[in-house]
Amino acid sequence: MQYRQTRILAGKGGGEAQFREALRGLALDPQGRLYAAGDAEVKVFDKAGVLSKRWPAALPPYAVAVSPDGTVWAGQSGQVEVFDCAGRQKRTWTDAARMGRVTAIGFLKDSVLLGNAAQRCIHRFDYAGNFLNTIGKDNPLSGLHIPNGVVDFAVDAEDSIHAANPGKHRVERFSPDGRLLGHMGKFTGPDPSGFSGCCNPTNVAVAGPGRLCVTEKAAPRAKIYDYEGKLLAIIDSADFDRNTKNMDVVVDPRGRIYVSDPARLNILVFDPEGGVAS
Amino acid sequence: MSGDTTRRDMLGQVVRGTVLAGMGGAALFLTKKADGQMVWQVNASKCINSRLDAADAEVCTLCTTECVIALSAVRAVNEYSKCGRCSICPAYFDVTSAVGDDGLPSQKLCPRDAIERKPIGKIDPEDPANNFYEYIIDEVKCDGCGRCVLKCKEPLGLGSIVLKVRYNKCVDCNRCAISIACPKDAISQVIKTEGLESSLASHTD
Repeated sequence: MQYRQTRILAGKGGGEAQFREALRGLALDPQGRLYAAGDAEVKVFDKAGVLSKRWPAALPPYAVAVSPDGTVWAGQSGQVEVFDCAGRQKRTWTDAARMGRVTAIGFLKDSVLLGNAAQRCIHRFDYAGNFLNTIGKDNPLSGLHIPNGVVDFAVDAEDSIHAANPGKHRVERFSPDGRLLGHMGKFTGPDPSGFSGCCNPTNVAVAGPGRLCVTEKAAPRAKIYDYEGKLLAIIDSADFDRNTKNMDVVVDPRGRIYVSDPARLNILVFDPEGGVAS
Repeated sequence: MSGDTTRRDMLGQVVRGTVLAGMGGAALFLTKKADGQMVWQVNASKCINSRLDAADAEVCTLCTTECVIALSAVRAVNEYSKCGRCSICPAYFDVTSAVGDDGLPSQKLCPRDAIERKPIGKIDPEDPANNFYEYIIDEVKCDGCGRCVLKCKEPLGLGSIVLKVRYNKCVDCNRCAISIACPKDAISQVIKTEGLESSLASHTD
């Protein structure tokens, strides 16, 4: 598999489509619109990469996600803010302990998952906001090992939760009730078939059936693996800042990959060679 | 005679004031220096090995090679509150070396083997990565070469290891040889802070 960079969105600056200080989270909706959380707002880009909407968040968001019913969730410090698709605030969930720093949000059929970097784990709630259980905490480290300060995970079509555990150089797979089902990846040093450095991968997304797309820091790049840990593609770009880290990633159903660069406040777009599937 | 101040008078007062202020500052500096309150110290935000904006920089070893003290008065110091306690620390291991049978890099980074890797708590025999690790710098061996500092720097590490002048080793030269050689003016005289001294006390030899 090979990818080519086709576009760069956002960037650093005072323009409407740009971010001034921070770009932290990405999400896609079923229509293929891209949501970017940064500074203290949410921006929406259409499929052509043009800014179509933006609205303020109560607090600087660390993560953004779009639920199956089209509501937009923004993870913040101590709370999650929920908006309708037009950006009108619908409600706010507040829980200082379980939502210390919400850096990832995901949805199961019956529940919502919030990645809490302050407690290095994932908390699961029902859609009414009632706490159900914790994921990733039941181990000798009492949580995911995230020296980089971000919990990131992705949910696949079978409701399996794939959580980046960079300090262990792996992606761990959990059931909704928190059982560790397995993991993929290992430290391989300079060999790119696995993960390098102190703590990679930092972020993860589902990239179609049986596949994950992850991002690494130092050197910054995205990679695609199957669930067994076989490397399928490396996606690199000279446009990634060499000092960037915690690059969020999302993949649309046609195989197009969006990767954030929190140092340059860019969103890089990569298409499979031969173009995206129609 | 007019009571108005002339321009010459005004200029004279400014000059006198400036000279007095300068003499006062110099006197204060010399007093503090005589009291041992002024010390040479490394500014981590300027040091090539630790400053954030220099990706892919070559290690600077001038703190080792220029200091008049044998083995230098500079040491690498791990600020534990910032350390990620990783299983595979890029300041301890040469993370570009081949991976051994134990799944760890086969070579250490420090040429003087001055860093000790200690598991925190009991190791999970099935999964050694399932542990935090503490990295302790042996200041008898460390010569402040900065290699570990460079590899600990973000984004590869967390920047918890920095170079520090050890006051109990520094002989407080009037013109520090490292400061003269340092291309980034990263060593300067600062007022000695008790907090810094005590936070480092447990790791001095």
